[in-house]
Amino acid sequence: MSARGIRIENLSKRFGAGDTAVLALKDVTMQVAPGEVVGLIGPSGSGKSTLLKCLGAVIDPTSGRMILDDTAIYDDRWKVRDLGALRRDKIGFVFQAPYLIPFLDATDNVALLPMLAGVPNDEARQRARELLTALDVQHRAQAMPSQLSGGEQQRVAIARGLVNRPPVILADEPTAPLDSQRAMAVIRILNDMARRFETAIIVVTHDEKIIPTFKRIYHIRDGVTHEEAGEGRGLD
Amino acid sequence: MKFRRLQRRTLALIAVIAPLVALFVYVALRSGPLASVPVTVTTTELRALAPALSGIGTVQARYKYKIGPIHAGRVERLDVHVGDAVKAGQVLGEMAPVDLDERIGAQQAAIKSAEAALRQAEARQTFAQTQANRYERLLAERITSEENTAIKRQELAVANAALWAAREDASRMRAELAALRAQRSNLRLVAPVAGLVTARHADPGTTVVAGQAVVEVIDPASLWVDARFDQISAAGLAAGLPTRIVLRSRRGQDQPGRVLWIEPQADAVTEETLAKIVFDTPLSPLPPVGELAEVTVQLPELPATPTIPNAAIRAVDGKRGVWKLTDGKLAFMPVVFGRSDLDGHVQVEKGLAAGDQLVVYSEKALTARSRTHVVDRLPGVSP
Amino acid sequence: MISLAGRDILHAWGKFIFTGIGLGLLIGVTLTMAGLYRGMVNDGKVLLDNSGADLWVVQKDTLGPYAESSSIPDDLWRSIRAMPGVAQTANVTYLTMQVGKGDEDVRAMVVGITAGEPGVPGWPPHLVAGRQITRGHYEAVADLATGFQVGDVLRIRRNRYTVVGSTRRMVSSNGDPMVFIPLKDAQEAQFLKDNDAILMQRRRTEANPAFNRPGVPDLLDAVIDSQTSNSYVNAVLVRIRPESTSQEVADPIRRWKRLTVYDRAQMEDILVGKLIATSARQIGMFLMILALVSAAIVAFIIYTLTMDKIREIAVLKLIGTRNRTIAAMILQQSLVLGVIGFVVGKITATFAAPLFPKYVLLVPIDSVMGFLALLAICVLSSVVAIRMALKIDPAEAIG
Repeated sequence: MSARGIRIENLSKRFGAGDTAVLALKDVTMQVAPGEVVGLIGPSGSGKSTLLKCLGAVIDPTSGRMILDDTAIYDDRWKVRDLGALRRDKIGFVFQAPYLIPFLDATDNVALLPMLAGVPNDEARQRARELLTALDVQHRAQAMPSQLSGGEQQRVAIARGLVNRPPVILADEPTAPLDSQRAMAVIRILNDMARRFETAIIVVTHDEKIIPTFKRIYHIRDGVTHEEAGEGRGLD
Repeated sequence: MKFRRLQRRTLALIAVIAPLVALFVYVALRSGPLASVPVTVTTTELRALAPALSGIGTVQARYKYKIGPIHAGRVERLDVHVGDAVKAGQVLGEMAPVDLDERIGAQQAAIKSAEAALRQAEARQTFAQTQANRYERLLAERITSEENTAIKRQELAVANAALWAAREDASRMRAELAALRAQRSNLRLVAPVAGLVTARHADPGTTVVAGQAVVEVIDPASLWVDARFDQISAAGLAAGLPTRIVLRSRRGQDQPGRVLWIEPQADAVTEETLAKIVFDTPLSPLPPVGELAEVTVQLPELPATPTIPNAAIRAVDGKRGVWKLTDGKLAFMPVVFGRSDLDGHVQVEKGLAAGDQLVVYSEKALTARSRTHVVDRLPGVSP
Repeated sequence: MISLAGRDILHAWGKFIFTGIGLGLLIGVTLTMAGLYRGMVNDGKVLLDNSGADLWVVQKDTLGPYAESSSIPDDLWRSIRAMPGVAQTANVTYLTMQVGKGDEDVRAMVVGITAGEPGVPGWPPHLVAGRQITRGHYEAVADLATGFQVGDVLRIRRNRYTVVGSTRRMVSSNGDPMVFIPLKDAQEAQFLKDNDAILMQRRRTEANPAFNRPGVPDLLDAVIDSQTSNSYVNAVLVRIRPESTSQEVADPIRRWKRLTVYDRAQMEDILVGKLIATSARQIGMFLMILALVSAAIVAFIIYTLTMDKIREIAVLKLIGTRNRTIAAMILQQSLVLGVIGFVVGKITATFAAPLFPKYVLLVPIDSVMGFLALLAICVLSSVVAIRMALKIDPAEAIG
């Protein structure tokens, strides 16, 4: 088992208290190695959003451990003080919708993250440009989000997720609004980026088109996960 | 490439913001107490002033005759109306004689009676004379006595005296008749001079008291203007000065005239000097008596001196002077002023020289600290 | 680090400018209202300044020529002139009436100025066109606010006056523009009514047997003459010698002449404290209300602008933007809005001020205070918006 990537042990999340308490996550155990792209599949209400939020340090789990890049970030309570910095530096997000900042152009949308981390503007923009090139949208680097097509926006969003070289990326239904060709393109990019930057990527999805591409899949139902081998094909 | 996009957007924004900022700066500097005061300037000019005095007055008749009875009585008839021209001596009307005519008749009868008595006395005297002569002759021939002659002489003397008395009596009667006739003629209202009737105060049948004017007559050739001048601006008023008279009803026409004299008594209550102005040529048609007139007396031209317009005169701390502009800096200069004319030019006696630049009009009151800028004409003023 | 506030403004600049202009108009109205208030107070001050007087001598126990009618004989000035410390005296009359020109007439305060020369108290202290009065009758100097220019012919009662000079900002405490005419004409105007009234009066006098005695023919004329002359003025303006104080000069006049004398401070108190007080308070209250409403609207606008950006703020928080950065963005935007609003407001107020019929005085201190108040409101309202923004749950971004 590699020391990097993300590992979750016995993570539980309870909403509410007493009789009305709901156990959204029950002893979830997961791990993703750097460079791996795993799928997290489950019906709605299964707790996958909750799991994602816990992974993204957006909500507080109730108990368990979360280890990121060989550092325990949560052990029955948060071990880091600045969750914002954690999200900024260690976790990348790719959403269903691109959620680009409408008043920044593509480059600045991506470069914003390193800038927030204190990276000088020129270097941040340089990194942004590199990623945009890797994602093949460099020709739209100056365009405002409103001028980009859906696919272009999604790619810029992916670039933003990657720009700080986080060890883990959480992708929530990234291909839901896309057709099969574009969906495959996105998955290919994710795999590509994961390999290149040694990032662990967790893709929450129920998109039939891309499920076959995962080598490993975590199914989640009623807060319980179990691992399964995926087909791992279609990426060539 | 990135910069071009940004620049274009920024430029567009600047194109909107910049005029706004410029407008703001303009507003801050040009209005409100921070702004500089617009002023117009002029220079002192050498000018020969022709001062003039301006007054108002009313047209009056120099001679106004109020004709009326010297006793109380009733107006019998009036032969003239207002506006009639009358000749000297013309009978204008008559008071009711009451019993005067009868008394004249009585007097005439008395005269006749006195003349008859006179004839009687003459006859007696003639007889007494004859008798006295005869007795004198008889006395000389010693036919009659001394006593008889004395008696006849005495009778003659008495008859002479009686004749003399009768003559004087007749004279007295005639004199009384003449007196009654004089009274009778007094009842007639007679125009003393040729002129114009201006008023009829009582109509026939009215009872009037002694001295009350029944008819007023003026001499139209003697119309003058009774003018009043504020004492403070009457310097130089003298008799003989040429004058322009403008009657209120004839606004556009200037009548030439001259000052006849200045009243020795001024009006102390209204603080005015009174003067009489006559027309050079009589006017026709005649202006009505009492019409208002504006007079302008032309004073002799003064030698050329530096003058300034009176709009430039300001008072600071009670001292009169002007705001002088030297090299753009403002300074108040107290000035001693001389004469002025009716167009607003004022002589400068001390304080300024010809060619000095001074402020005439200003938008606001000036102080030593005011910032000014010179304009041709102040905003809002029509040329 | 790029300026998020700047980028947002650049991106939605139309909305910003538009909102700023709307805000600016509101601020402009508030500034103008403050100017209205100051203009009213200034009307009173200007009236006193322009009269050139240090003391006002009026009828005993009246509030002076402006606030109450006062009648004193016109030869009283002679005895005042002789009192110690008096440098100059001048009779003056004031009458607010309709002044006609052609078919229209204008409400104006007709000031009767004593014969003399410029510099005498009561005379217009400075002109903007033409010249001062030189003739003793039938000339006038009119303020431009009457609409009369040099050369126009005015009608006051039955006489015609030629305008020979123009002034600006010579107004009564009510804001009525002034027309200066020679004192004698003004006395006649103040007293004489129209011809019909005079005829009636004459007839009444003739019918009175006490005046119409047959034995005294000129009595009637003399009585009628005395009835149609006016020898009263409203006040005597006094200028005192520089070495005397107004107290020293005023007290003897009060005591020995049994008149009421006001100095500059007391006149100001009467004008501003009594004459203008109610209207000024009225406007003052309205100004308060307007300021409060403006503040509320500014706050509301800034709050709404922030609400529009909830999604972006959530995303920013999610991707790890510091609270401080988000707060700064909102604060900067609100300050920019405030500045734009103030600039537009000041410009609007300056250009709108001359359009008002009465004087609107915009003083720099009002603008400065208004600016600071506006910035304070912007800061406070952005604080509210920031608190709301910081409470946003980034989890919402994930849905």
